[in-house]
Amino acid sequence: MNLWREFSKGLWRDLPPFRVVLGLCPVLAVTKSAIGGLGMGLAVVFVLTCSNILVSALRHVIPRKVRIASYIVIIASFVVTVELVTQAYMYPLYEMLGIFIPLIVVNCIILGRAEAFASRNGVLASAADGLGIGLGFTMSLTVLGALRELLGAGTLFDKPVMPLIYQEHPFAMMVEAPGAFIALGVLLGLMNAVTATKGT
Amino acid sequence: MNEMVRMVVVLSLICGVCALALSGLRTATAEQIERQILTYLEGPTVRTVLEGAENDLIEDRQKVEIDGKEMTLFVAKRGGEVWGVAYETVGSGFGGDITVMVGYDLTDDELTGVQIVSHKETPGIGSKITMDQYTRSFIGMPLSSDFRLETAGGDLDAITGATYSAQGRAEAVRRSVELYPEVKARLQDEIAEGL
Amino acid sequence: MEYMILIISAVLIKNIVLAQYLGVCPFLGTSKRMDTAVGMGLAVTFVLVIATAVTFWVQKLVLDPLGLGYLQTIGFILVIASLVQFVEMFLKKFVPPLYESLGIFLPLITTNCAVLGTAIMCIRNEYAFGQAVVFAGASALGFTLALILLAGIRDRLSVSPVPRALRGTAIGLIMAGLMALAFNGFVGVDNSLNALMQQ
Repeated sequence: MNLWREFSKGLWRDLPPFRVVLGLCPVLAVTKSAIGGLGMGLAVVFVLTCSNILVSALRHVIPRKVRIASYIVIIASFVVTVELVTQAYMYPLYEMLGIFIPLIVVNCIILGRAEAFASRNGVLASAADGLGIGLGFTMSLTVLGALRELLGAGTLFDKPVMPLIYQEHPFAMMVEAPGAFIALGVLLGLMNAVTATKGT
Repeated sequence: MNEMVRMVVVLSLICGVCALALSGLRTATAEQIERQILTYLEGPTVRTVLEGAENDLIEDRQKVEIDGKEMTLFVAKRGGEVWGVAYETVGSGFGGDITVMVGYDLTDDELTGVQIVSHKETPGIGSKITMDQYTRSFIGMPLSSDFRLETAGGDLDAITGATYSAQGRAEAVRRSVELYPEVKARLQDEIAEGL
Repeated sequence: MEYMILIISAVLIKNIVLAQYLGVCPFLGTSKRMDTAVGMGLAVTFVLVIATAVTFWVQKLVLDPLGLGYLQTIGFILVIASLVQFVEMFLKKFVPPLYESLGIFLPLITTNCAVLGTAIMCIRNEYAFGQAVVFAGASALGFTLALILLAGIRDRLSVSPVPRALRGTAIGLIMAGLMALAFNGFVGVDNSLNALMQQ
């Protein structure tokens, strides 16, 4: 089992949410800013990697019939961990991500990987899988967040980047709902075009 | 039967271990979380109403029990001496509870300011109660004032189009003023014991 | 009267999928055809209302009194997952035609952010039980409305010359964005209604 391969597939081939259209809910909501995207991404990396490891470690112990319920308890526990830790040490981030921190538990990516991979593979491979996909997701979120923040507010990580004129009249729609959907759709279309030409 | 038992046992074990771990984490982070909430939510309002305080208002907070309810008193010092206090009270506004932070000058028995901690009023209309121009009038008001809207015969300005919100805020301030004598007495006890 | 404002707000102004970003996965997945859209809309409405009602009492009777507020996430999702199982079994036994038409959508609703999201929102907004149920129903209505609208649009798109790279989910997202833009026009209506009521 090639660990590097398990890790790297999450960075392009199975990149969520573009190549693998899963886990969309938080994508639209937290990508108003680059830091929001980054924060959510890292939270997901944590939950995904930890739950993959635990599910994989217990894969021979959990009876088939209660596996989904067990996965949910495990994933939810890590999500509550994230909730408590961000509340205690990163309060501004906690407020920014708001209701979407608890919603990590229904992020299809995490349950999907637990069922499709972690339940059938070793702990190290599952950890690599979780890390790779999680980091890929983080990349996507941060890029989308940066794009929306740049166009919608003229800043990047809260630092003004665009010229002053733009700052006063930014393309504000980008940080609102319509901009979110459209930006994601355009990015997805771009990725499809790239894939088509590369033939991957 | 064996399968059933195994399912129940495994699931219960997983739930149990997770619950234990989480409650442990919760206990470990509880105090830090409380400090964060105070810093980010109440912090700004306390610092505004107790402007001129030289101490760390969050660290120096006192938890007391008044009328059977636990309250957090934010104590302001200057030159090591206690000069002011601020605490939260709640009133009923249009959209829900309005929580205010009222600051008092202990020597003059006057209000040093009123800030809104949280509310559910209509943005742009009821939310006017948070605006500077509508909270400035509270500064320097003596305790003997009539804390009702002038439309009801009191001393507080009304806010056009936001009657219920203004009433809710007034109610919260009234409750705060009602508690003041006891708060002051308790504080003086604490100072005597070496605050 | 305030229920009316709550309903209008949940359906048009703060539409659960077009403004709150909840339920986007199934929104895109089932809007390709009208019949799947209607099926999902029905299923979501059913589960959302019941789930909100049940989680409300779980919060008030179990989590709050025992000081277990931090276990809200784990508790709610377990309740929802069990609820969906239960509803599946119930429908299969007592209303088979409905069970057949809902098909695979029912189990999928467990991971629908709209359900967990709405349940949590009712607690965070401190709604009373009646408000919570109405809010849930209205949110589901908003979801179904948006879903049916998008399905109608995508029906037309399937016979239009869409660039290859944009076909499928990408163009669906862009269309959803335009819909969100249209719904954006409703922002502020609930504030005006509230102001009218304050006078």
